[in-house]
Amino acid sequence: MNTHALDEHLKEMVLALHAAVNRAMPHVNDDPALVDQALRDCQEILEVVLEGNVAEWLGDPDGSPA
Amino acid sequence: MDKPFTDKLESADVAKMPAEYQTLLKRVLAIQADCEIGGPHLYVRSILPAAPTKVDRLIVARTAAEEADHYRKVARLAGEVGEDVSPLLSRPNRERYVNAFRGLIASWEEFAVFGFLIDRVGRYQLEEFIGCTYAPLERLLPDVIVEELGHIDYGHTKTAEFAAKGGSAKERIQSVIDAWYPKALDMFGNTSSRRSERYRHWGLKRRTNSQAREEYMREVDPLIRAMGLTVPDPNVGRQFV
Repeated sequence: MNTHALDEHLKEMVLALHAAVNRAMPHVNDDPALVDQALRDCQEILEVVLEGNVAEWLGDPDGSPA
Repeated sequence: MDKPFTDKLESADVAKMPAEYQTLLKRVLAIQADCEIGGPHLYVRSILPAAPTKVDRLIVARTAAEEADHYRKVARLAGEVGEDVSPLLSRPNRERYVNAFRGLIASWEEFAVFGFLIDRVGRYQLEEFIGCTYAPLERLLPDVIVEELGHIDYGHTKTAEFAAKGGSAKERIQSVIDAWYPKALDMFGNTSSRRSERYRHWGLKRRTNSQAREEYMREVDPLIRAMGLTVPDPNVGRQFV
C-alpha cells in the first residue's frame, strides 16, 4: 500500500467536503439551490470515501494497490 | 512486573522494539482507524439525506468529513509502521472491532445520542494517548480532540433539546439513551483485560479500562440527569464488565 498516495487522495476528498459545507453554510436562508447542490456534492464524495476503492483511487484498474 | 517503558519513539524506532510493542501499537492504531471511519458508515447513508434541516444536514456532512480526516491521520501512522488499514474504509459494519459500530443509526435521535455518548468515549480513547511512548500518535491528538469536542457538544445540545420537549420526544430520547449507554460502557473493554495491562506497560495507554470507564460515568451521568433523564442501570445490557 502506498500510504503517502492514499493520504494525499483522502486529504483532497476531505478538503472538497469542507469546501462544499463552507460554501453552503452562509447561504442556508437565501440560496436553496446552492445549498442543495453542496449537499449533493457531500453525499457523492462521502459515498466514494465509504466505498473505499483504494486501488482505483491510486490508479491501478486491475485492482491491486499501486 | 517489568519496569514500565517510558521512552519516546519515532516511526524509525519501532522496528527495533520487541514484537509485543509492535503488535500492540499496530493493533491500537488499527482499532482507532476502524472507529474513526466506522462512525460515518453508521450514519452517512441514513442520516445525511434525512436530518431535520439543511443546517443539520451540513453539520452531518462536516462531522463525517472530520471523522474521515481522523481516519486518514491514523491510517498514515499505521502505514508508517507497516500496518495497512485501507481495507477498513469499506469494511462491513458487522465486522467492526467495536460493537457500537456494528449496527446502523436510523433516527435523528440516535445521531444525537451517538455524539453525546459514543463520541465522548472516542475522546476518552484519544486521551489515553496523551503522553504516550509513540510520539507521532501524541502529536496528532490536539486537532483531533478539538473536533471530537465539537461532535460531543452538538450531540449533547440535540439530546438536551429532545429531552426538554417532554412527552413522547423525551420518552424516545430516553429509550435511545437506554440502548446506547451500555454500548458506551462496553467500549472501554473488560475490567480484567491483560492486554490493557500490557498497553499500560508499554506506555501506549494511561488508564486501566475500569478507571477510564468510571471517569466517563462520573462525567456523563450528571449530564444525563441534568436533562431530566434517567441514567440506565450500568449492569444491564453489558457484554464487557
